[in-house]
Amino acid sequence: MAVPRSRILDLIKVQCRIFSHTFNPEGARLGNKVLRQRLKGPALAAYYPRKMATFKDLQKAYPQWETYDEEQEDRLEALKIIKARGKGAPKKKRTAAESKKFKGKKRAAAVAAA
Amino acid sequence: MSMFRAKKLDLGCFVNIKTIRDHTKRKVFAENEPERQALRYIIRNMSLPQRARVQAQVQLAQMHCYTRPTQIRNRCIEGGKGRGILRDFKMSRYMFRLNALAGNLPGVKKASW
Repeated sequence: MAVPRSRILDLIKVQCRIFSHTFNPEGARLGNKVLRQRLKGPALAAYYPRKMATFKDLQKAYPQWETYDEEQEDRLEALKIIKARGKGAPKKKRTAAESKKFKGKKRAAAVAAA
Repeated sequence: MSMFRAKKLDLGCFVNIKTIRDHTKRKVFAENEPERQALRYIIRNMSLPQRARVQAQVQLAQMHCYTRPTQIRNRCIEGGKGRGILRDFKMSRYMFRLNALAGNLPGVKKASW
């Protein structure tokens, strides 16, 4: 028993209304598949772990507490040892003349020749 | 691009310029995703006038490259590497091995048979 097409279309129309779909019997390209897609931005943006509180923040929040930052103390101790052996970084030059004094072999040679 | 970058560093993982850049791209994409999807809808909707669709195409093509999802690449959170990343652990294969052997990854065990 054949059902007339108009009757099937009516049925589809009602179905679309009930389930809030778009009624599109011709199958035209309406781009609705783009609207159906979920937004993936929030998931992608949450990939890297965000910054958490650091030791410095803790010290700043509770200055009255005595804290011990092991990494920082280790670093400072190592620096002290290096400095004592005379292998530390040179002192920062404060003036332009000071910083120009010994800068490369060529410049030194040119100054000597002149 | 530095104009999109957060003024204060907000990453808690391994930091180098590549991870900062990728993180920035992710945030910019998340911000612009609704706009991009709207334009894509207009482009794909054949019932709209041709002129509007072409305009939408041009507008989408002219959006900044940081708003594109294809710019995003998963990077290692332990070392910033861009290749050989295990998605489940967000780590490069070598960092994954080191952490797994050290027992930092719950449920991961070295197989032997």
